Amino acid sequence: MKESVSGKASKRTLQSRRLFYCILPFIILSFLFSYFPLHGWIYAFYDYKPPLKLSQCDFVGWKWFETLFANKTQVAQIFQVMKNTLAMSLLGMLTSVFPIGFAIFLNEIKCKWFKSLVQTLTALPNFISWVLVYSVAFSLFTDGGLVNTLLQNMGLITTPIKFLDSDAHIYSWMTLWNVWKGLGWGAILYLAAIAGIDSELYEAARVDGANRFCLMKEITLPSLMPTFFVLLMMSVANFLNNGMDQYFVFQNSFNKEHIQVLDLYVYNVGMTGSSLSLATAISMLKSIISLILLTIVNILSKKTRGESII
Amino acid sequence: MKKKALSLLLCIVMTASTVLIGCSNEKTSASAGGNGKDDEFITVDVFDTLANYQGIQSGWFGKIVKDKFNMELNIIAPNVAGGGDTLFQTRSAAGNLGDLIISKTESGRFENMVKAGLLMDMTDLLKDKAVLKDYKDAIENMNTNLKPVGIYGIPSEISNRSPNVSTEGVDPLVAPYVRWDAYKAAGYPAMESLEDWIPVMKQMQENTPKSDSGKKTYAISLFKDWDDSMMVGAKNYASLYGYNEIGFVLAKADGSDNQEITSSDGYYVGALEFLFHANQEGLIDPESTTQNYDILSDKYRDGQILTSLWSFQGPSYYNTVEHKNALKGFMPAYIKGISPYSFGCYTKGNGKTIIAIGSQTKYAKRLAEFIDWIYSPEGMEIVGQANGAAGMEGLTWEIKDGKAVFTEFGEKALPNNNVPVPEEWGGGSWKDGVPALNFKTLSIVDIDPRINEPYLTTMWSSELAKRTTPLDLDWQEKNGGAKTTIEFLESKNALSVAAGTSYLQPEESSDITTLRGQCKSVIVDDSWKMIFAKDETEFKSILKHMQDTVKGLGYEKVLEVDMKNANDQADSRIKAVEEYNNKAK
Repeated sequence: MKESVSGKASKRTLQSRRLFYCILPFIILSFLFSYFPLHGWIYAFYDYKPPLKLSQCDFVGWKWFETLFANKTQVAQIFQVMKNTLAMSLLGMLTSVFPIGFAIFLNEIKCKWFKSLVQTLTALPNFISWVLVYSVAFSLFTDGGLVNTLLQNMGLITTPIKFLDSDAHIYSWMTLWNVWKGLGWGAILYLAAIAGIDSELYEAARVDGANRFCLMKEITLPSLMPTFFVLLMMSVANFLNNGMDQYFVFQNSFNKEHIQVLDLYVYNVGMTGSSLSLATAISMLKSIISLILLTIVNILSKKTRGESII
Repeated sequence: MKKKALSLLLCIVMTASTVLIGCSNEKTSASAGGNGKDDEFITVDVFDTLANYQGIQSGWFGKIVKDKFNMELNIIAPNVAGGGDTLFQTRSAAGNLGDLIISKTESGRFENMVKAGLLMDMTDLLKDKAVLKDYKDAIENMNTNLKPVGIYGIPSEISNRSPNVSTEGVDPLVAPYVRWDAYKAAGYPAMESLEDWIPVMKQMQENTPKSDSGKKTYAISLFKDWDDSMMVGAKNYASLYGYNEIGFVLAKADGSDNQEITSSDGYYVGALEFLFHANQEGLIDPESTTQNYDILSDKYRDGQILTSLWSFQGPSYYNTVEHKNALKGFMPAYIKGISPYSFGCYTKGNGKTIIAIGSQTKYAKRLAEFIDWIYSPEGMEIVGQANGAAGMEGLTWEIKDGKAVFTEFGEKALPNNNVPVPEEWGGGSWKDGVPALNFKTLSIVDIDPRINEPYLTTMWSSELAKRTTPLDLDWQEKNGGAKTTIEFLESKNALSVAAGTSYLQPEESSDITTLRGQCKSVIVDDSWKMIFAKDETEFKSILKHMQDTVKGLGYEKVLEVDMKNANDQADSRIKAVEEYNNKAK
């Protein structure tokens, strides 16, 4: 830039520099936690053997990516893993309407202390880690656990039901645990949105003779829809990211085939099967697919709602 | 302009750091020797792939280590932490496994640990130590062909005896132990084959329905912690017939047969079928699928499980003097056709596990002293206690009339009982103080020069003479007077001793390792499913699933490697015996 800039421009530079300094910490943080870890992708191109350093290992190029599609069984395994991932994500999305219903009905409760009690109790599971959830599940549902003992004592069953070490209905089980854990927490957002609805709308409707169910259906529900759609779209972007802790703690030899979601598969291949390079390659592919999904959703959102989400 | 420059700068910084971090720096810290003060109390991190306990070594052994070396051992145990090799990988990526390292070495792991600079060269540290003088051959043999040259690891189980002598003294790796009281109540039924064991187990479970604490008994109980290439609980039944695993191959002790484990008519699938039938009869503890080794051990202590294949499980946990006097306890029964696998002595040490010093430690000198001590007769008596040695002279044993005998306390506490230890010996419970290192420095059947008898207490003449409890007498009467399991098996010509060699599985390409990892998980998962299958059809279909899946993944390539290794191992066994015989001449 030329020396002869006006004072106004230099003032603007000064201000924008100040603003830049304001966001600098956040740029650094997002760099540290979002971009910096990406250097680990380099492992996907090496033949990494753990006790050795990367510099002591051979560079193998795209070999691990090719391994993923090396044979039919391998592809079938990945296909099964993708199926599990998508199924559980999809079930998660389908059940994401539950918090709305829960919030709407909870809002109708007039007794204040009861309402906040229910809200607290249902939000609480969100803060319990999956490991603890599993230990609760374990003591309730093992062969000698509470449920089986109870059922046996009541004479309803003779042999214990295998709740945990069985492959049956694993998607539904996992979704149920998820709903139990996330219901109250998910409702908090909607409760806040309900509080923001203009009360004049309700009054006008009441004047027109609407009953409580009409109010819920015609006013509360439509007002919550924008929030719902934003959340839904964000969950589409996270389609492949359904986390691994839940599935990790619940997995065993018996249910592995259907519980193994992508993140867990990466862990099992990399950490347990000691192929860190292959695991890196898989998780790289995952990031790329997630990125594509997000872009698609964004374009759709632009087309249908006229605004993009990123 | 400036904005652009700034964003460009940011981009450059990001890329540069990404690239730079990829090339992690090569420098390994110079083997510092010991800069830690000699008299300072230290906590030593022990990375121990054999340990089944994680945390600070407590109790009587903790006190010995503290008194002798002014340190405590913080044991880091991948077996307890779970997740297979995860802990090894993450710790080695960080460049520091621990101060003291007890590790597996096969598949090139030892060479790689040296190459990666994780281990310290002990050449200078051991220069004037007895361990190097006494076991020069074994140590040199272990440390050949290493780059950089040096002494990095000391093998375990070093022995002076012939490779054809069982290293297990009185009990082989596996044997069909049964709760003799229940077996007796069933009328000592003869068993013509493994399948015949099932009705016998059933009778035993019926005549002994409750454990000592009143819980329901089961004939068999399994656990999954130690599953690796295959399910350990099933492999053990193949070992009853003289086989042991090498990768996905079951190799017979004498080298006459190598079986791949997924073959429908092999011993592994046979064992799965046996366990499946046992489960159909309600003989398998349903908690097998979820419990761990510790829970199972407690069940054995309580008498809840009626058979055991490992002497260190059933017999070791349940055969206390009181139980034996009450004619209760585990004793081997004979099944026609068995020939349990047993490891021979390792003249050049068992290089499959080593002890080493971590390259990053500050206490190298003191650790070298510790290592020197655990390879001394006294150290072996104490550290080897977890594997059958006597423990501390004066507390558990003493010399009377020139012979080593147990003290009154030793009778009660050994091998692994919940008996309070006197305060001056460290207090706590005996069981909790047992050396958690679980590392055998010398062969347990070698002669302890201090007592002129083997380290293994069960081989002491004073102990053999004591095998006169009602349980022993009853068992001996039924078995022609044999005193120990090995004697008993030898008398039936039913023991397969695999000559001890310094053979180590070589490093394999990472393609094979990856395939192996995938096949392993299919095999282990399907094995468990097969045992708990609903019916024969489901059993067969899971078996087929296992065979097809591993085959599709490329199992054959892995098998080729394993078969070659099995053959090499067989050859090395012949060579080891020849070498020993030539030397003896």
